[in-house]
Amino acid sequence: MPVLVAHQLERSLGTGDSRVKALRGVSLSIEPGRTYAIAGHSGSGKSTLLYLLGLLDLPDAGTLSIQGSATHDLDDAARTALRNEHMGFVFQFHFLLKEFTALENVMLPMRKLGRLNVDSMRDKAAGLLAAVGLADKAARLGNQLSGGEQQRVAIARALANDPALILADEPTGNLDQANADRVFSLLQEIAHTRGQALLMVSHNPELAKRCDQVFHMKDGLLLP
Amino acid sequence: MLMSLAGIVFGVAFFVVTQAQTAGFQSHFIKTILGVNGMLRIEDRIQSTRRTLPAAPDSTFAVNIEGGVRYIPGVEYPSAIQEAVAQVPGVTASSPVIRGNAVLLANFREYDSKPYGIDLASFVAVSDLETQVVDGSLKAFADNPYGVIVGLRIARRLGLAVGDSILLQNSGAPTRFRIAAFFETGIDQVDRERVYVHLAASRSLLNRPVGASFIQIALADPARAPELADRIQQLTGHGTMAWQEREKTWLQVFSVLRISSALTISTIILISGLGMFNTLVMIVVDKTREIAILRSMGYTRSDIGVIFMLQGGIILVIGILLGWVLAAAGTYSLSRIPIRIRGIFASDHFIVTWDVAHYLWAALIAAFVVLIASYLPARRAARLEPGDVIRGSST
Repeated sequence: MPVLVAHQLERSLGTGDSRVKALRGVSLSIEPGRTYAIAGHSGSGKSTLLYLLGLLDLPDAGTLSIQGSATHDLDDAARTALRNEHMGFVFQFHFLLKEFTALENVMLPMRKLGRLNVDSMRDKAAGLLAAVGLADKAARLGNQLSGGEQQRVAIARALANDPALILADEPTGNLDQANADRVFSLLQEIAHTRGQALLMVSHNPELAKRCDQVFHMKDGLLLP
Repeated sequence: MLMSLAGIVFGVAFFVVTQAQTAGFQSHFIKTILGVNGMLRIEDRIQSTRRTLPAAPDSTFAVNIEGGVRYIPGVEYPSAIQEAVAQVPGVTASSPVIRGNAVLLANFREYDSKPYGIDLASFVAVSDLETQVVDGSLKAFADNPYGVIVGLRIARRLGLAVGDSILLQNSGAPTRFRIAAFFETGIDQVDRERVYVHLAASRSLLNRPVGASFIQIALADPARAPELADRIQQLTGHGTMAWQEREKTWLQVFSVLRISSALTISTIILISGLGMFNTLVMIVVDKTREIAILRSMGYTRSDIGVIFMLQGGIILVIGILLGWVLAAAGTYSLSRIPIRIRGIFASDHFIVTWDVAHYLWAALIAAFVVLIASYLPARRAARLEPGDVIRGSST
């Protein structure tokens, strides 16, 4: 079963005369265990599509299903719960909470899901940090880590609730080449070994090519 | 945020201290006035002037006409009234008093005074005369049928001493009395004109062979005075006034002072609330991205709102607790400050009342202000759309 199915999604941004159609009927399907890239120029609608697929925004038209559940009739609380359980986000900026340690940042989605006790959450978060190569830096505050390390913590955080879908918006856009390669390899490996789908927006054509499938976008449409 | 916390602490503390002080003075005033003039007084007899008029000449029908009320001065049969009043539940003691005017002659000087003829044994049960004596003794008064207890202001003005003899003259020949004691109530008007003499002596001095000017009543619960006054008035047919009605003017003054100080101090809390509001709004602006990432990972709008309400709640709880501690210390310190007060009561230091209600009211006002100040930023934070924020952060 596809993790995500989008059908004829439309979305306009702005108000009045400045309102533009960012998406003009986008349809796609995401399968588990595969990696996808959305490539395109700035303003092509990549990020808008990603936020719609991540339930961070609402489409003007079209339908979207996550793990077989239709989302168009859901209220904000239900969409938020779906995000918590089935999705993990990695953004261009890591957005770690600087008052919390790396371990505590990774535990945040688990705390909200509430399926594990604190000790189990801590163990799982430590395991995820180890998986991204940061076992020895679990106790550091967010702002005591390098840019690459912070992004790896953000990846660990995105994996905290074992989501079916990882959505990444320019996850390497703020990193140097070496760190960008390392972060992308990590995401790709996780998707393949854990059976999780990865959908990534990227400007970087080299990274996009390394994904199992690339969606090219132009003027709010997916190119054939 | 620290300034807001300080504002809550000082606002709560000042609120409690001012209320403790005004309530302290008010309760001391009430205690003084009850100790001097009693809780209830049965005074003039009420005579209804209602009459009937025939509806027409030679008619057997008559019309009742309300003509109002006429007061006949004094109590003609005080013993009978006292016996009747003693049956009323809540009445603990009663004492007849004869009141009049006399010229006090002493040290070659004349002074206008108001003799009060009292039955000492019963009067001490309806007043605080025992504790008001500042020189001499009640025993000396009790032992001498022509003993007199003189107000301290009179004594000072005329240069009198315990043991001196004075003359009191009403309309007839002057009567000689010996000073048994001086009293001080703190109420200026009482201390400068009142002298206590025995009831029997006052009858000849004031030409009042029978009856009494009024009967002073003590009650088990002073708060019930208005209710019992109505009951006793109906029972005895004499005008009966509760202390709350008699001292209405002063009680209103104290009430206005308390409300005024409460409002003034509440502005400190209000200003702190505004400061907290500003701070929380700034935090919401500053933490927009953190709020967005929390929302993206599954935290609901209400979760975000709760975080900001909790921030306000933590400040509130710390502010109230520290405010209470400061209030208790301030109230205690205030009560130790020496200040000589005479006029409507006597005190040589600030008077305070320790009342848990003051602390609860201060906490309630602070809670109201802080909750409002926290709610609006919390709502603003909860309404943030994570997609908009994250899109705005991307390059």
